[in-house]
Amino acid sequence: MDLKALQKQERQKRVKYGYMWALFCAVLWGLWYLPGTAVWVLNPFDEMYGEIAAGSGDGVALVVVAVLITAFNALTVILALMVWNGTLGKLGEMKRTLKEIKPCTKWFFLASIFGGPIAILGSFMAMGFVGGAFAAVAALLYPVVGSALAAKWYGEKISKRAFAGIVIIILGGITIFGGGVLTELGSGNVMWLGYLGGLMAATGWGIEGAIAGKGLDIAEPDIGITLRFLGENIIWWIIIVPVLAIAGFPMFKYALLVFEPLVLLVLVFAGITFGFCYVSWYKSFPLIGVGRGQGIANLYGLFAVISIYLFFGDVPSWTIIVGGALCLIGSTVMFSEDTGEIESLRGD
Amino acid sequence: MAGDRPIKFRILELCDNSGKWNYEIVQQIQKEYGLKGDYWRDSINFDIIELASGGLLKDVEAKVDEEGIYKKGFLLHKYVLTDFGKVRATDACLMYV
Repeated sequence: MDLKALQKQERQKRVKYGYMWALFCAVLWGLWYLPGTAVWVLNPFDEMYGEIAAGSGDGVALVVVAVLITAFNALTVILALMVWNGTLGKLGEMKRTLKEIKPCTKWFFLASIFGGPIAILGSFMAMGFVGGAFAAVAALLYPVVGSALAAKWYGEKISKRAFAGIVIIILGGITIFGGGVLTELGSGNVMWLGYLGGLMAATGWGIEGAIAGKGLDIAEPDIGITLRFLGENIIWWIIIVPVLAIAGFPMFKYALLVFEPLVLLVLVFAGITFGFCYVSWYKSFPLIGVGRGQGIANLYGLFAVISIYLFFGDVPSWTIIVGGALCLIGSTVMFSEDTGEIESLRGD
Repeated sequence: MAGDRPIKFRILELCDNSGKWNYEIVQQIQKEYGLKGDYWRDSINFDIIELASGGLLKDVEAKVDEEGIYKKGFLLHKYVLTDFGKVRATDACLMYV
């Protein structure tokens, strides 16, 4: 076989695997909203909500329970990632990377501040108070934040096409948030904290991506995301959960009650889907480029809405469907122009 | 000294100046880090692909592996550090001039 034919074959193989990983990410990410929504009605979280709500009100109860759920999510994710890295034999490389504080670890820990207490906590708040479909679709706004920051920090240019995509995504976002708020205004009961959560998810993930990228391009992605979750676990289990416990909330009382088969099963399911969606997300980037990888991964919104419908029978309101469709169209427009990365893999 | 920093740092170092073929990089890393076997060969090669897709390395030449020095019948690629790669390598405190 000649050089040209081999180059073509190699390129096709990479692209095929890249699309496979990106799609895998979208499915797992979408599935994550199932345990994320279900966990709210399970004990000890349901009971914990009741106890705190009785003393401090619904709003405080929502945030405090979301903190404990997010902390357990971080714990099961890091367990899944450690098993993954151990199986791949990458623990030695993890130690080497962890020691590189300035070029690597610093960025991963900084990213975990925005990813954990802002994006994932916000997602759980949105799931708990507004619903899984809303939480999933609201986070579709994250590329807008990410590209605005990349433009500001790294001087990346936003092309006309990307700008058109951003405008479509923002219109989608207005439909999703505005539709929900207007409906609830009519009933006189607006779950503001749930909507704030949706906004936190979109901005948090956008910022996380822009920061984590700094350390990820010179580290192993499998290891980078594990260190990022190590940072998140430190934030929850060493700082926030103990602080809330000292403030008088029954954090440890309920944390110790999760060791029941069903609760553990749901939490582990959340950890595995979330952990591996991150893994496959990063695996797709070198093969098809960051743009296409993120564009396809954004199909998670669709998978989330479908799986929530199949498992819980919840039909999302039309504003979520229309807004979600706009976000998907916008991210396709935004990301489909990016052919640079694939070209650079060609070797010509 | 060898094998105590992340593998990608070392790959960037090796590609400095005139560039290196992927099989040369893979073999040297396997030796320095004591990583034997086909699994690590492919894993290190994927690291190189990641660095190239991130724009830190550039693929400047390709040839078919006729003799099977790496993988018989597959492509071999030669990589050099890009300007962006040099900037990032300096951030990572690589000892490179």
